[in-house]
Amino acid sequence: MIEELLVYTGLGLIALGAFAQLVSGIGVNRFRNFYLRLHAATIGSIWGCVYPIAGAGLVALGYKELGPYSTFMAGAAFVTSFLVLILSPAGSHALARAAHKTRQALVEPCVHDALDPSMCVRGGGS
Amino acid sequence: MFVQEFIAAVVPLYLVATALYLYRALKGPTIPDHVLGVDLLSYNLAVLFIVLGIFFKEPILIVTAIPLALWIYALDIYVAKYLERRVMGA
Amino acid sequence: MSLDLLIYAVGAVASLMSVVAVYLALVERDLVKAVIYSAIQSVFYSLLFYLFMSPDIVLVYLPVAGGVLPALLLVLISKTERFERE
Repeated sequence: MIEELLVYTGLGLIALGAFAQLVSGIGVNRFRNFYLRLHAATIGSIWGCVYPIAGAGLVALGYKELGPYSTFMAGAAFVTSFLVLILSPAGSHALARAAHKTRQALVEPCVHDALDPSMCVRGGGS
Repeated sequence: MFVQEFIAAVVPLYLVATALYLYRALKGPTIPDHVLGVDLLSYNLAVLFIVLGIFFKEPILIVTAIPLALWIYALDIYVAKYLERRVMGA
Repeated sequence: MSLDLLIYAVGAVASLMSVVAVYLALVERDLVKAVIYSAIQSVFYSLLFYLFMSPDIVLVYLPVAGGVLPALLLVLISKTERFERE
């Protein structure tokens, strides 16, 4: 009973991750500047990477055909999801800070930019 | 249970997402866009590693996902450091 | 039967995408972008090594091609110049 519950919960989380990755892929291609694309990338890294990996750990806990090393697989999956949960926002933040400081990516359809008003391109089309 | 069939039905969705990320990673006009694309590609790849490890029923395959997450973070930090060093003049 | 077909499909998609990344890395003038393209190629090659059931090769290939090589090339580019001349 409890094994079936773990396996069904994990498979649901994996399917949720596939849906979130599709949404993030469409968003990364449709948004108009780098800082908006960062928003879509956050969906792809938290909903699309942390939750499916934790779900795979739950599946490994309840799935009997994996053999005696299934608890090893579950532990490695939980450690990986925790690492991604910490590291992906840190990497995105470092990248956005470098891009804004060195004026690599302009803020194209802009309303207000309090950090550096000269990077604000008002009403930009494209 | 139907774990293998379910994973075989879900993995093509991840492949479609891989193609979308690859389009942005190859096209992206500025360098941070390229690095963001590589980031998303590698997180997608970590999920594929673990899910295919369940699909093959070989638990030892999962150890490849932890170095992937760690080294892609290192690539982010390298590129950010390179971009900021040029503006500080060091 | 169809489950084997899934594995072949994943391998075919990964190898085709790596060919595109390698071609763009060859023709690119901006050397930083070429480094990023080679990182994309290394990501797909690690997926191929994984599908060939050799996780030890993946464990060696990921730090070399995804971490150490871009770091060394970025240090070299910052010491010299960024754009390739004719």
